[in-house]
Amino acid sequence: MESVASTVLSAGARETAVRSARRLDRRRMLFWVLPPVAWFSVFMLIPYALLLYTSLGKVEDMRFIPGLSLDNFIRVFTVDPYLGVILKSARIGLMTAVFSAVVAYPLAFFLAFHVRSSRFKFLIYLLVIVPWWASYLVKAYAWKTILGSGGILNVALQKVGLTDEPVRIFLYNEFSVVMTLTYIFTPFAVLSIYAQLERIPTSLIEAARNLGAGGWMIFLRIILPISVPGVVAGSIITFSLAFGDFVAPVLVGGPESVMVSNVVINLLGVAFDWPLAAAIGLVIITLGLLLISASGWLEEKTQTRF
Amino acid sequence: MRAFGNRPLVLALAMAVLGFLYLPILVMMLFSLNDSQYTGLPFNGFTLHWYGEVFADRKLLVSIWNSVYVAAGVVVLSVLFGLPAAIALDRYDFPGKGLFRRIVMLPIVLPGIITGIALLSFYLTVHMRLSLYTIMLGQGTALMCITITEVFARLQQIGRSQTEAAANLGANEWEVFRSVTLPGVRSALAGAMLIAFSISFDEIAVTFLLTGRDNTLPMTLWSMLRREATPEVNAVATLVVLMSIVLIVGGMYFSRGRGVASRES
Repeated sequence: MESVASTVLSAGARETAVRSARRLDRRRMLFWVLPPVAWFSVFMLIPYALLLYTSLGKVEDMRFIPGLSLDNFIRVFTVDPYLGVILKSARIGLMTAVFSAVVAYPLAFFLAFHVRSSRFKFLIYLLVIVPWWASYLVKAYAWKTILGSGGILNVALQKVGLTDEPVRIFLYNEFSVVMTLTYIFTPFAVLSIYAQLERIPTSLIEAARNLGAGGWMIFLRIILPISVPGVVAGSIITFSLAFGDFVAPVLVGGPESVMVSNVVINLLGVAFDWPLAAAIGLVIITLGLLLISASGWLEEKTQTRF
Repeated sequence: MRAFGNRPLVLALAMAVLGFLYLPILVMMLFSLNDSQYTGLPFNGFTLHWYGEVFADRKLLVSIWNSVYVAAGVVVLSVLFGLPAAIALDRYDFPGKGLFRRIVMLPIVLPGIITGIALLSFYLTVHMRLSLYTIMLGQGTALMCITITEVFARLQQIGRSQTEAAANLGANEWEVFRSVTLPGVRSALAGAMLIAFSISFDEIAVTFLLTGRDNTLPMTLWSMLRREATPEVNAVATLVVLMSIVLIVGGMYFSRGRGVASRES
């Protein structure tokens, strides 16, 4: 716009025109920027500030007393079980992320490279997203019916004669928690890896084949490196969702599989220790911001441009 | 040719994964038909009794309606505020943009419980009574990032030339929005709305803390599963899955050529 203006207008008029255009642009910018910024300020920044205020105080006789002490943060890192539970949740989240990616990869690969007709592709895509709609709670409960001591797996094992007594190690431990979480979040990983694989041009594969590369070679040297950002993006989501989960530990977990969200709920409801819960929340918010920055950097770093 | 690798092996692995994804769904559906007082073996025989129970259970039906109501509100909120946010991030450099982007993404990586306590302390401070609307505001905040990231990605793909051309030809902001921006992002927006609706419909963590007297479907199911899990729970979940298949297929059919699957291929 400026180049058009400069040929037509004199210097002084040009300056006013540019200034008024800038002012107009600024008004338009505020129109788009202000509502969302206002929303996130009211519903995120103010609540987080309140968490900070709460975390600096303490509770005595069920009453909140404001203060300016870092005691609660020190408690998070030094008193059992808080730091341990955060680390355990992170471990469960990591295992879930890895297993979901491993389970999801073959399906995403199949969808991206081996399904030719768009009708069949739509069907498989649909089959991946439909399990999303089944209630999380009922799906988790279904695993209980499968893995429990009177469950389908045990009955089948006994029928086949592999065992006489019900095997109890399938349920109410960390294995069943990780299994259930992996199951629930695998569709996210499939979609994220598939989106990345779909970007790979067919010509790249043909070129590799013409140069004499075999299937494994193409996979290891071309497909796998290119798919890394999709795996990372999916893993960030599956990790985060598993890390913050509190349903699986209650439904299929054992007494020792309590995770960080369960601890926070107990602090709020049972112990009525809001300041400590707020401190845990702020520690996790900080970790979350670090994770976002790290993931942005990692995806940028591993992305291939065609 | 795009396909490479050992086709039978790839097919077998992919089918195994689909089997894993559907095993619990099939178990859930099968046991919704079980003529027994609780979910699980033994399988006593087929009955539709539990589907009848669902339609006779007023509390359950109300909670389904509540979930639809909340999810619809969340979708409206995430369009009203998420769409401008995506446009703002795409077009302008405003102070605090980097921070704004991170804040917006934060609810994706945070446990819902943390988002929940932050909002709960806010509601308590401003003396807001917990209701379906407090859930709506909470979920709306948490799920807005889906709309923002989807629409933002599409805007970046489209580029700016059309918007600038329209502006140079004298279109005002509203005309540019209505005839250039909106048509360009329509399918991304529709996809994001669908995802936001489905996640909101099944959301547990944020809702758990922000729920008042009225319960959403997951809250009702949660209390049913913790008391005694009758096959009624399976029946209602099966109905939701069947309804969702009808809705998804219908939606895709309706917007033929703009569906998610065809967009990506």
